[in-house]
Amino acid sequence: MTRSDAAPKARGGVGYGMDLEAPGMLWAALVRAPVPHGRIVRMELGPARRMPGVVAVVGPDEIRTLLPKGALEAERPVFPLDEIRYRGEPIAAVAAETLEQARHAAAAVVPVVESLRTDARIEDVFPEWPSAAAAKDPRVVGHVHARHGDVEARFRSADLVHSETYHTSGVHQVALEPHACLGEARGGKFRVRTSTQTPFGLREDLASILGIFESSLVVEGTWVGGGFGGKGAAFLEPYALLLAVASRRPVKLSVTYAEEFELGRTTLPSIIRLDTAVRGGKIVGRRVRLLLDTGASLPGRDFAVGYSIGFLLGPYRTETYEIEGFAVQTNKPPFGPHRAPFAPQSVFALESHIDGLARRLGVDPIEFRLRQVWREGDRTAYDQPVGPFGLEAGLKAAARTAGAWRTRLPAGHGIGVACGFWSTSVGAGGEARLSLRPDGLVILQGEREIGNGSVVHGLAVVAERVLGLSLAAIRVDYGDTATAPFDSGVFGSRTLGALGQAVERGARSLVTILAKRVGASEIHLEIKSGQVLVVAGRRRHKLVDLLTPTERAEGGLVVEGKFYGPEREVDASRVLAGSVYPYQDFTGAVHLAEVEVDRETGHLRVVRYAAFQDVGTAVDPSAVQGQVEGGVVMGLGAALSEEMLWTPEARLANPGLLDYRLPRLRDVPPIHVELIEGFAGAGPFGAKGVGEPPIIPVPAAVANAVADATGTRVFEMPLTPERVARALKLL
Amino acid sequence: MSENSLGLSLNGKPRHFEKVPDAERLLDTIRWRAGLKGTKEGCRTGDCGACMVLVNGEPTLSCLVLSREVAEEKITTIEGLSTEKVGRLVIAAFEEAGAVQCGYCTPGFVVALAAQLGGRGPPPPLETLLDGLEGNLCRCTGYLAIQKAVAAAREAI
Repeated sequence: MTRSDAAPKARGGVGYGMDLEAPGMLWAALVRAPVPHGRIVRMELGPARRMPGVVAVVGPDEIRTLLPKGALEAERPVFPLDEIRYRGEPIAAVAAETLEQARHAAAAVVPVVESLRTDARIEDVFPEWPSAAAAKDPRVVGHVHARHGDVEARFRSADLVHSETYHTSGVHQVALEPHACLGEARGGKFRVRTSTQTPFGLREDLASILGIFESSLVVEGTWVGGGFGGKGAAFLEPYALLLAVASRRPVKLSVTYAEEFELGRTTLPSIIRLDTAVRGGKIVGRRVRLLLDTGASLPGRDFAVGYSIGFLLGPYRTETYEIEGFAVQTNKPPFGPHRAPFAPQSVFALESHIDGLARRLGVDPIEFRLRQVWREGDRTAYDQPVGPFGLEAGLKAAARTAGAWRTRLPAGHGIGVACGFWSTSVGAGGEARLSLRPDGLVILQGEREIGNGSVVHGLAVVAERVLGLSLAAIRVDYGDTATAPFDSGVFGSRTLGALGQAVERGARSLVTILAKRVGASEIHLEIKSGQVLVVAGRRRHKLVDLLTPTERAEGGLVVEGKFYGPEREVDASRVLAGSVYPYQDFTGAVHLAEVEVDRETGHLRVVRYAAFQDVGTAVDPSAVQGQVEGGVVMGLGAALSEEMLWTPEARLANPGLLDYRLPRLRDVPPIHVELIEGFAGAGPFGAKGVGEPPIIPVPAAVANAVADATGTRVFEMPLTPERVARALKLL
Repeated sequence: MSENSLGLSLNGKPRHFEKVPDAERLLDTIRWRAGLKGTKEGCRTGDCGACMVLVNGEPTLSCLVLSREVAEEKITTIEGLSTEKVGRLVIAAFEEAGAVQCGYCTPGFVVALAAQLGGRGPPPPLETLLDGLEGNLCRCTGYLAIQKAVAAAREAI
């Protein structure tokens, strides 16, 4: 099935945030903090205001003078009012007739700054592993502690305790399209057009930052040139909108790639300690200790720890455990979501650990996982039921492929396996308005297509399946937050599963209504000569003849489809501090990597790859394949080369594509994709979300292949040649 | 004609712009003066390939070229290319292969591939064509669907 947006995009015919333009528009640029931690003693904006072409310059004072009082009380005001918390944090902004003029004027603002002590890394905050009392340190912005069962007894009676520490690095989303938006403000009403994954979430976020009511603000999404989690929360919009107030003109703000990297809400480093107790060849206890760098985040970040630790127990039955994690504030930019937030790095640690444990026990790594992997009916670590789950089937399929690969494995090559699980955010609700018109169906909803096809293509396919109407007669339409029904956003592999269910429900009510009108128990729709027909057995009715006068006047039969999933609950007695993430709607993936290790340089070459993806039902198998291939290759970047490098002064040393290496076309190995179907998910027709899971096991699969090839484990990701060479004692 | 005016041959048509700074990049002239936004702005450092155009048929990163440098040359953007046979063919191949996701890189890929397939004589070997796309980044597809599109476009030419 080809996507309706493919050819227009290939012709360069769709508009992204970067392409936004408005009559009378000004261009904006940011003034950014010269130190990672400090106070602004003095900042003269006057000289910049007098520069050629400059129309407005705004700083902390303008929050007070131009916005309602609430803007001063925002958790994170437009500009910092007290402390600069990371290097490059925007502290003022300029709007001018041209971009060049704006950037010149921004560069002319030179604040006098008093520097404060910098915590560049987790180790700067906690040189030693923190005790529980560390939760009171003001730089701990999240703390979660959970336990279940008699962990101590299980560790005392274990046959073997396996203990390791892993380190992970920061990874940037690098959506090809930089962030960009266009803000307008007139008479207390605000409008922003922006490249966003979450128009409604962004409206809420912006209203709180600007100190205004949500009803005073309209967010309109554009086509999104890649999101991967990086285009959700407020980013450039507050600056553009404040400048629009100050200048009374539309203001366009986009950033350079260097700014993308330096402002990025990205993955940040973590340190993970794992201890696993084994008895009788099975896991009987686990201790997890986690330190998560959350950058310049403010208190209340328990969820970052809660998300991470779930992945450190794994998709395995764990009879007893104790987990404790701290979110640590440093002077890097605040962390942000990246495709499958917190999963690839946590899973790198856990799946490396499990693999090493299997090898230590002399058990085949796939066989060892099969002994404890979740099956339907199992309970999770927080006592939630595991529904239909395809990981066991995936492991068995992977075992066959691994066996075939191993029969012809050259010297110096190794095969690694890794599992990952994911919980799609199906519960995050959404709505869609379906208008069945005499010439076709229009689905009005609030999301813009970010690339995976779940909106422009997936929602149409759901309606096609329910109604029987051909794709050509179905159009997915977009509104802004004032005209479209609410939806939670394109994130969490939820779009098809949740918004798709809203469309499915809407389509089913159309069927019910029309069946009643023609007096039949079953109907479907067809399109003939541009006319929608309602087919009931051998009878065919023109839709237009079945509409009421009101419906004809309104252009068609309009229904609302709504889906709000059930609240999920965890066993709260197991959570001693903070909160854990209530996983739901499980999906999983098993990956295999064959890797060749250069024993002189430490360079890795991924020779071939296989991904076994639990998808429930593949609503469009070719679209699923595209998600798996794309996720695997993004994961290979994180496994092999992608790493944000910070200096001890919290300066990002590689803010650009020259030094932050993404996978290129010739880096990609052959990828065998196998869809595991039959373990129905909560989405339409049993679908499970598939956007995020394929990235999760990749770094672990590569690391396990290196261990298989060399007998040496690498405890840090990415597995750069330098790290591999060190592990092999070549350096 | 004023001192700061600039003439360009864009998609076979002469275009004329006033008050163009000497340091203006071809990418910006194309997008903001000619209004041809199919040429995408990515990194502006020559690393991503999203801004690729043809200058006298040669694939060129428009973010690294000053407009004044190419005032005498023939410039073809994705908008021009998509009306030519080779462009249409490449676009159809990308569509059919499922090689378009967010689409931000796609015009650059189409330009880079069409440049290699547009010559007279038999098309270059597949491996050569794939090497010719090393300068184009894609973050969504993992490149495998793009490789399928390249093979299909080569067959179709």
